[in-house]
Amino acid sequence: MIEFIKVKKVYPNDVVALNNINVKINKGEFVFLVGQSGSGKSTFLKLILKEEDPTEGTIFVNGYEVSAMKRRDIPYLRRSIGVVFQDFRLLPDKTVYENVAFAMRITEALPKEIRRQVPMALGLVGLSRKANVFPNQLSGGEQQRVAVARAIVNNPSILIADEPTGNLDPETSWEIMKLLVDINNRGTTVVVATHEKSIVDSLKKRVICLDRGTIIRDQQKGTYENEGTHNKIYI
Amino acid sequence: MKVRTIKYIFNEGVKNVYKNRLMSLASISTITASLIIFGIFYLIIANINHNIMKLKEQPEMQVFCNPELDDMGVKLVQNALIRNSNIAEVTMVTKEEAFEKIKEMLDEDADLLEGLDSSFLPVSFIIKLKDIANSGEVVKELKKINGVDKVTYPQKTMEIISKFTNWIHVISIVLTAILLIISVFIISNTIKLTVFARRKEISIMKYIGATNWFIRWPFIVEGILIGFIGAAVSFVISGFFYNRIENRFTQELIQAGTDIITLLKFNEINLPMLVMFMFLGCTVGAFGSIISIRRYLKV
Ligand SMILES: Nc1ncnc2c1ncn2[C@@H]1O[C@H](COP(=O)(O)OP(=O)(O)O)[C@@H](O)[C@H]1O
Ligand SMILES: [Mg+2]
Repeated sequence: MIEFIKVKKVYPNDVVALNNINVKINKGEFVFLVGQSGSGKSTFLKLILKEEDPTEGTIFVNGYEVSAMKRRDIPYLRRSIGVVFQDFRLLPDKTVYENVAFAMRITEALPKEIRRQVPMALGLVGLSRKANVFPNQLSGGEQQRVAVARAIVNNPSILIADEPTGNLDPETSWEIMKLLVDINNRGTTVVVATHEKSIVDSLKKRVICLDRGTIIRDQQKGTYENEGTHNKIYI
Repeated sequence: MKVRTIKYIFNEGVKNVYKNRLMSLASISTITASLIIFGIFYLIIANINHNIMKLKEQPEMQVFCNPELDDMGVKLVQNALIRNSNIAEVTMVTKEEAFEKIKEMLDEDADLLEGLDSSFLPVSFIIKLKDIANSGEVVKELKKINGVDKVTYPQKTMEIISKFTNWIHVISIVLTAILLIISVFIISNTIKLTVFARRKEISIMKYIGATNWFIRWPFIVEGILIGFIGAAVSFVISGFFYNRIENRFTQELIQAGTDIITLLKFNEINLPMLVMFMFLGCTVGAFGSIISIRRYLKV
């Protein structure tokens, strides 16, 4: 569960990235976060991870008041949230297996648990056979799968993805999105910031649309653009 | 912290020292240089202290009575000495003992003393002071005692040595502190480069929920290992050169036939020195690391 109450985010350079955000995302939901570049999507996700703090307002994640959380508790918050980025962010000198296992090692998980969970996560993203390969030997889509496996290996209750398909071709983008839907179907809350119009339109999930820092639309079974403004072209 | 985490941290730290071996080498050299300079001071002070101790154990001061003074007079002088609050110990040297000593000293030429007896020699007292710093005053007091002929004392030398040592202490502590601080900064700068090279990795670790200590420890291990190697290298180098200098010096002293000054053998001081080198090296390395990663942990 994620809840923003009257949240405002002003960066030190006086850019108002988010303003008066009130939104609630329930457990198990799948949400697309859309809007033009600079509309505040990444800032929204950063607030969930407490990478940034809101200037005003309150944020709850999994029942914790993130906006009031102590710095030293941040790691434990992040362990309950899986993250996937546009640029994959894998460790280049670790194998696929080690990249995924690493997310468990930092939680001091039992080796037995690691040996059980990592192959399961790799199986889920369809990369079991590439476990001992290094990231630079993989295609972009495969690298992003590794990132997804790493994000879910600790069984987080929330999965956040910031333009996960931004660096991928359309076909691969579809595969990654379907993977995120699979993960959502297993009970994980998923929030995806994206520009993929056709994918958003055909998946018919909840769509939250940001424009210059405010929510201008929040639709169940929504589309990328507002109904009736089909002709208007967004970036 | 769990054993497997400690293992992971240790592995990472050691791996990084090797992976960044050029940088590690630069840091190790810095620590080595600083510790060698520290070692030079340490060895100088240890030897000065050693020789001062020796001097303190030797009779510092000898009070000679008039040769004509009778037993009663000698007794009075002795009482005056014992009552003096600056004096720790009074040992009487009788006329006979003095005569024997001279005979011994003259050795083969003892026949020079033929026909003489001990009566021409004065009774004297060997005195140990509680604190050599007061020796000047004490001498003045002792000279005023009735029946005292003269007082011999290595006073000036003692005072100068004692002042000199104080200064060397101060200077070496200050210089060592400055050197160590400089080392911390140089090391923190080299480690900063390795941290910078791995800033992406650090930010990934932060995103997937690693605690700051989990991120910090491998770097601290890296710093400590660098400090440890630096300490070991500087210890070996210091020991090697000290041994040579000590041998040479001791030989020359033997040839000169004096034992007023002796140098400590390296194995008499190597343990405290090793402990100190290790402590300083590892501390400096650890601090260098902690300083250098601070910035990158604020994600
Ligand atoms: N760290 C930052 N410092 C200052 N301004 C920022 C920072 N991050 C983002 N911004 C600004 O905040 C606004 C929203 O950015 P962002 O949340 O990244 O939008 P999006 O992800 O939708 O493209 C933009 O105007 C951007 O320039
Ligand atoms: Mg963005």
